[in-house]
Amino acid sequence: MLQRRLMVGLALLAVLSSGRFAAAAEEGGSELRFARDVQPILSEFCFQCHGPDAKAREGNLRLDRAEDALRRDDPVIVPGNAAGSALIERVVSQDDERRMPPPSSKRRPTPAQIETLRRWIDQGARWGGHWAFEPIGVSGTPVVNDSRLARHPLDHYLIARLEQHGSRMADPASGSAWLRRVALDLTGLPPEYELLVDFQQPELPDAGERAADRLLASPAYGERMVWEWLDAARYADSNGYQGDAERTMWPWRDWAIGAFNRDLPFDQFSIWQLAGDLLPESTHEQKLATGFCRNHMINGEGGRIAAENRVDYVMDMTETAGTVWLGLTLNCCRCHDHKFDPLSQREYYQLAAFFNNQPVDGGGGDPQTRPVLEAASPEQLRQRDELDGRLTAARQALDKFEQQRFPREDGQTAADSAAAAELPAEIREILKNAGSQRNRGQLEKLEKQFAADNTHTALLQAIRSAGEARDAVSRSIPRVMIMEELPDPRENFILYKGLYDKPAEKVGIRVPEQLARYDAEWPSNRLGLARWLFAAEQPLTARVIVNRFWSQLFGAGIVKTTEDFGVQGDRPEHPELLDRLAHDFRTDWDVKRLMRALVLSGAYRQSSRATPELLERDPENRMLARGPRGRMPSWMLRDQALAVSGLLTRRMGGPPVRPYQPNGIWEEATFGNKRYEQDHGESLYRRSAYTFWRRIIAPSVFFDSGSRQTCTVKQARTNTPLHALLTLNDTTYVEAARALAWSTSDLHDPRERLRQLFLRTLIRDPRPEEIDILLAARDRLARQFSAEPASADALLAVGEFKNGPVADPIGATSWIALCNTILNLDEVLCKE
Amino acid sequence: MAKTQLPSEIARLRQQTRRTFLGDCQVGLGALALSTLMSADATPAAERTTNPLQPREPHFQPRARRVIYLHLTGSPPHLDLYDYKPELVRLNGQDAPRSFVEGKRFAFTTGTPKLLGTPRQFAQHGQGGVWLSDAIPHLHGVADDLCVIRSMFTEQFNHAPAELLLYTGSPRSGRPSLGAWTTYGLGSENENLPGFVVLISSGVQPNGGKNSFGSGFLPSVFQGVQCRSKGDPVLYSSDPSGMDRELRRLSLDALHELNAIQGKELGHPETATRIAQYELAFRMQTSVPEVMDITRESQQVLDDYGAQPGQASFANNCLLARRLVEQGVRYVQLFDWGWDFHGTGPGEGLTDGLTKKCATMDKPVAALINDLKQRGLLHDTLIVCSGEFGRTPFREGRTAASNILGRDHFPDCYSLWLAGGGIKGGTMYGESDELGFSVARDKVHVHDLQATILHLLGFDHTRLVYRFQGRDYRLTDVHGNVVHPIVA
Repeated sequence: MLQRRLMVGLALLAVLSSGRFAAAAEEGGSELRFARDVQPILSEFCFQCHGPDAKAREGNLRLDRAEDALRRDDPVIVPGNAAGSALIERVVSQDDERRMPPPSSKRRPTPAQIETLRRWIDQGARWGGHWAFEPIGVSGTPVVNDSRLARHPLDHYLIARLEQHGSRMADPASGSAWLRRVALDLTGLPPEYELLVDFQQPELPDAGERAADRLLASPAYGERMVWEWLDAARYADSNGYQGDAERTMWPWRDWAIGAFNRDLPFDQFSIWQLAGDLLPESTHEQKLATGFCRNHMINGEGGRIAAENRVDYVMDMTETAGTVWLGLTLNCCRCHDHKFDPLSQREYYQLAAFFNNQPVDGGGGDPQTRPVLEAASPEQLRQRDELDGRLTAARQALDKFEQQRFPREDGQTAADSAAAAELPAEIREILKNAGSQRNRGQLEKLEKQFAADNTHTALLQAIRSAGEARDAVSRSIPRVMIMEELPDPRENFILYKGLYDKPAEKVGIRVPEQLARYDAEWPSNRLGLARWLFAAEQPLTARVIVNRFWSQLFGAGIVKTTEDFGVQGDRPEHPELLDRLAHDFRTDWDVKRLMRALVLSGAYRQSSRATPELLERDPENRMLARGPRGRMPSWMLRDQALAVSGLLTRRMGGPPVRPYQPNGIWEEATFGNKRYEQDHGESLYRRSAYTFWRRIIAPSVFFDSGSRQTCTVKQARTNTPLHALLTLNDTTYVEAARALAWSTSDLHDPRERLRQLFLRTLIRDPRPEEIDILLAARDRLARQFSAEPASADALLAVGEFKNGPVADPIGATSWIALCNTILNLDEVLCKE
Repeated sequence: MAKTQLPSEIARLRQQTRRTFLGDCQVGLGALALSTLMSADATPAAERTTNPLQPREPHFQPRARRVIYLHLTGSPPHLDLYDYKPELVRLNGQDAPRSFVEGKRFAFTTGTPKLLGTPRQFAQHGQGGVWLSDAIPHLHGVADDLCVIRSMFTEQFNHAPAELLLYTGSPRSGRPSLGAWTTYGLGSENENLPGFVVLISSGVQPNGGKNSFGSGFLPSVFQGVQCRSKGDPVLYSSDPSGMDRELRRLSLDALHELNAIQGKELGHPETATRIAQYELAFRMQTSVPEVMDITRESQQVLDDYGAQPGQASFANNCLLARRLVEQGVRYVQLFDWGWDFHGTGPGEGLTDGLTKKCATMDKPVAALINDLKQRGLLHDTLIVCSGEFGRTPFREGRTAASNILGRDHFPDCYSLWLAGGGIKGGTMYGESDELGFSVARDKVHVHDLQATILHLLGFDHTRLVYRFQGRDYRLTDVHGNVVHPIVA
């Protein structure tokens, strides 16, 4: 009966609102839940004028807090009596003067929303806090009727929900489809041949588990996981703004890749980046991690005020941390209290105070503004030590020589020697100092003076060349911007309208305590803040982080607004599941363990096949009655193309590289000041994470990526003709097609060759009709190429990849064109 | 021989592909159309997997259906072009009144600067009697189409933040630009061309960088596409060398057939959309070079604009702007570098320097206005011409002793003009004080300008919003008032 009623309701709702039927269906008849059902309506229609923002508040009425909304004097909401509540009366009023929200706001709740409010009041107007600010709760794993497809407790949450709606999980995708999906998700690369072979060993059990473990252990894992982190951290290789000077933050990037690879627990990973410098006896690595905070843009424009820049940087650090760990949008609070979330302007500046107490001064000029950390490689350290030794030895040798050359009493200098009496005054002046204290100019003068004395000049030259070599090594050591704490705390103020020169009230250093208590044991600095973010009672961090990792795999978060867990953000689609995951995650903050559980889950293993019925009922796949599917990010497309064509180099880390880019793009954007000097050889084929990121003009080979100007934790995924042009025509992709064709050219049976191409790109055999289409296309292409043989030669020369001698250019180029087509298949562009 | 067979074969394949494509679309598009209708406000355009640039109607009847924005990067000296201040001329060379400069910051001027009356000759033009200087003689002839606002102001006095404020409503990077908002709101009328095109002359990008024509947090499909005069007019629009159009067609046909199989197998409407986008890309590869090819214009037209094929000149770009809007492009943004008249070199002087620079601008602009009028496009094409701020009524500090006259950046009061769609031509709006230091009447902030442009396009600027990180963002932030008196 219930089942039937639900089905009818379902069909109706599917027509009414195709996207949100799931949440709506559950409302029918059951008790309303404040956070899920009521608060969003209040937020949408009331908080603008009756919310946390004191300045915008009208009629002295607040509806965001129970004590105000349920006030006894002049009551607005009378629990248990909707008909007698002014709120309902005003919302349904036909009188323009009385109706709320006022007609001028052009906002109207739907009849269903009004009905929800009515029922909620009639049911007693039970209040509750905003869901995301409530403690993380753990419920027992739901009981399901059919657990055959469940592979992990998390699946039970999804299956239970689907069963309630008379639906079920889809059957698993084929093993190879899952393998491609999981390899792309965990390493950003298609599965390697050995992995595939191992996976297909029929006699070995737990093929999936073994594959997941191998992928998680691959160094490519860190290179894949770091991408979203670089977007969030607004990492770039230049400062931004006019001039856009280069900076050296790549050692921090390499640190982050390494941290993912060795599975540094996420709490440590975070605490180091926020406050590694403040840890007791902090290590080099912990200091380097704080580069995270310093990835902000730096404004070197003439006429800029340093103090204004400094405030910008502090705000950027604060807002980045707010979005990354708390999932809250703080920037509105620069100028006024938050309209929707219970965050005041005061709390914003109190929070910013944690990031204010550092020595970054806001001045332009040096692109690596202090404080900085030397991030030398072991080789550089060895070289520098060696040269230091050489320099000391050379100085000692000179001093010894001069002792004999200029005999003198103890305590006297060479200048006092009778042997120096005839020398020019300038030279005697220099000789007053021992060899170790002479600068380069002085050494040169001495060399001139004593040119006739070969021994003396040789000794002088030895010092000079050792010194120069040492300086050269020293200069080549990258200096990375990091955080330091000022010994004397800065004062903190609310800034009127966020203006640096309009300080208003003085404020202290504090967190918004309604989220979680701040332990008195913690210091009032970034380290304390970091501890607070990972405190046991902190409700946001674990939810926010788990949700982002989830969305990395499933294409969308359990909370769709991965960037906003505030009142205006989306509700979680599966709240109990989110809490269960968050709860489990924060027992050890082990990211690899989390990723492993997710990729091995039944939900993730499902086939992504969509039926018209599924599409109509749940077009966005929020219920996960099918597997995730979507176009992969542009950087992953590039890495995939390099990998399948065999061009990819696996060298890790180091300074950024400059792969193919059409001419003139940097020049146009930078007054002609920045020339793009494309690299050659191996550098063309490094993973995308190593591509030089110029902040004001991002690499043109990427699209739909974060701007790397401010923190981005959610990328758009659009589908435009410009993307098609790129993957069809860019040298990167055409060259990959060429290398792919070449690497299979020893297969003379065209069907076998196609099979090889499909195995490499899609990890499956081609269907007979696909073979027919491709072979027919190859014949037509060959006919066209033979009409214009010069075309064939031109296509064979795209990119720097060198293939061996080509016996049949026409045949070779038709295969290149086919490979270009295959690399643009919807299935190749998507994670299926 | 092979070649003669091809066309019919291509036609057959194309037909087949299209049939498969449409067949696949039935379910997908139906479902999507429904979800779009049901949640017109809630669904961001990114999730409308049908063409996000399909034309849409605004909030109310628009006065303008497309925009050409002429940006003179660096900011032209408005006091030598549009805002005639005889009192300033009279007091030329005297110290600027302390009350006007005290406590203010200027980019390159400190201390007490000297007042600078214009060295240009001014006269009133057209029936409306619009004041224009002798630096822009060609604009005299179209004076009755112009509405000059002489009471503009902004808060930013450095190029990049001022430009960002003008185009994105915020001096910091990260927000969508005016053109992105426009195409987000209206879509575009020619699906074979980008909806928002950017043309840059004098070889230098705008100060605000790509952010001045970026999509910010809007989906990237709404960002300005720079059409370049060198290399590919649109990035990657050339087929790879060795791959001609017929080869490309052949491989695309195979691609579509394979994708259609995939679409059937997995049943995702996204696959059908992808086929459509690849088709669009193929057509764009032809239509973009075509529309960018000004040799297709008559010699007379080229002469009117002063355009010379092959150059990245402002004249060429004005002509291209006309060609683009004629083809249904929604928003065309021009940036022309070289208007930063500090007086640090002869090219930046208010006498000969300005004459020379204006000669590259006023003729093509006048030609553009006349051309659009002749083609019946001016009445619903809005043209705006401005810098990012104004220039001081006094001499720039660094060049005060030089014999080249220059002015510093000035945000407090400046001028710009609009013409075409819904604009009251032959008028002036607002006034500066006697010396041009501040607005005397009818202040217009850049947010007000934005509100007015959106109003002319049929939008209530407070309702053209996009939900991002928990907040409804709009171009005008929390500000902006429509300047109704300039609307015809």
